[in-house]
Amino acid sequence: MIDRRAVHPMAWIVWATSAGFVAFVTTDPVYLLLLWAVSWFVYAGHRVDAEHARSFRLFLTGAVVAVALRTALVFFGTVSAANTTFSFLEGLRLGTILVIFGTFNAVTDPFGLVRMAPRHFHEPALAAALALSIAPRTVADVGRVRDAQRMRGIRIQGVRALPALAVPVLERGMEEAHTLAESMDARGHGAGRRSRYRPQPWTGAALLIAVPAIAAAATFLAASVGGWAVLHPQTSPIVWPEADLLLLAAIGLLAVPGLVGRPER
Amino acid sequence: MSTVATIVLRRPVAAAFVVVAALIPVTVPAVTGAAPACAAATGPHAALVIDTGAGVRSFCVALDATIVSGIHLIELAGAQDHLSYGFGSGGQAVCRLAGVGPQGDDCFSDYPQYWGYWHGDGHGGWTWSSSGAASARVGDGALDGWVWGSGDSGASHPKPPLTVIDDVCVPESTPTATPSPSRATPAAAAPSAGVRSSLAPNSPGPSNPENARAAKPSNEGIGKTSAPAGPPTAGALAAAPGPPPASAGPGPGLLVALVLGVALAGGGWLRIRTSRRGRSSA
Repeated sequence: MIDRRAVHPMAWIVWATSAGFVAFVTTDPVYLLLLWAVSWFVYAGHRVDAEHARSFRLFLTGAVVAVALRTALVFFGTVSAANTTFSFLEGLRLGTILVIFGTFNAVTDPFGLVRMAPRHFHEPALAAALALSIAPRTVADVGRVRDAQRMRGIRIQGVRALPALAVPVLERGMEEAHTLAESMDARGHGAGRRSRYRPQPWTGAALLIAVPAIAAAATFLAASVGGWAVLHPQTSPIVWPEADLLLLAAIGLLAVPGLVGRPER
Repeated sequence: MSTVATIVLRRPVAAAFVVVAALIPVTVPAVTGAAPACAAATGPHAALVIDTGAGVRSFCVALDATIVSGIHLIELAGAQDHLSYGFGSGGQAVCRLAGVGPQGDDCFSDYPQYWGYWHGDGHGGWTWSSSGAASARVGDGALDGWVWGSGDSGASHPKPPLTVIDDVCVPESTPTATPSPSRATPAAAAPSAGVRSSLAPNSPGPSNPENARAAKPSNEGIGKTSAPAGPPTAGALAAAPGPPPASAGPGPGLLVALVLGVALAGGGWLRIRTSRRGRSSA
């Protein structure tokens, strides 16, 4: 089904955490928009050819909506160029974190992560993995049901399409959950016996994903604590945001996984 | 002269000032820095005193409403007298005044040093503002003071020098070069306050505006130079010269960022396209 030779899932956790941290400490649109580009680049190089990789598009849409909503909040108060820009940048930060999470979802399989959870945290990890994958799986299911309907010449438009869509999607979800439960039971999950079947090694590719990401996060942490670069550009009056070359290089490090590429199958 | 011509064409309102001031032998930068109509305090006016620790600047600001916020007073001083400023927290807090203070949106990144906010009590003294500048109400004849320093309350934060409104906004009825007693008080008090040297030139030569102007850097935006007939009012001295105005345009880092962004986006797009083609041919 899905090529799992790629990399250790922990490498992607490290990457996503680091990239998210970078987005968290700055409201500079230069760095944030570059993170969108980095996410897109990494997604393009590593997306898993499964339906849940479509979640990147889902999160991208969510990010745009988040930016728009956060900016629109200004209209509840006094509107000025300064506070509109401020809100927009705050929204952009939120959107960036969503896009990074979307990339993380598209390049790794949430169930791969469950295997790495310590024994005592197995059940929470399983719940988290299910929760993480429910949205992208539903999106994928909707696509599949629509394809099937189209092939049969059924064309329903608008609101009336909802029940026709929802019933098969929900039914599929139930079926999948059932299959998942059975297959996990068969592999000894939930009984305290942990499968050690095919442990995933830390490959060079995994190190190339994780190590530069840590370096990037450390650089931004140093800038945030040391204060040698402006991470929150002034919005009143609006000035051109600055771009520190060292911090740009750090963001470049986050794009390294995109250069490494995914092993061809 | 072409510079003057463009200024005249671009800003007809300022043109009158330029023409009047051009009769006096002063340089063009000094003239452009001296556009405000504050000396003759007609209409609602408020005084703004800014103490950077290295010097004091004061501004007589014409208000565009009966009551403005402390933030808007600074904006008006920026528009009228070329005071450089930077606000943070979406325009709610004062980060940077006259080139002093943190750049960016976090006004407390230089803490414990920050801009303390004071209101003049009308008798030359100051009280620590109990509200932020965005919600403070400034009306006609009010005094607002900002001091760069440390201290979390009015008890420990340095105060601005003793000032009354007439020190800054000269009443129209007294267009004389002789300093009034009320003005002499802050001038005498200033040396005792420590390093504040800005008021000192007023004491030795109180009736010589030309000397006072010559002592200043001509390109600094100083509010009082537009009053050729007025007395050398308190605190017209500049602080340390600030950086150039913020509208300098994008820096070189932005170009690098743009190249990087285009490369990443283009690279990702190419990658998606080639993988799609490979899949469809297979």
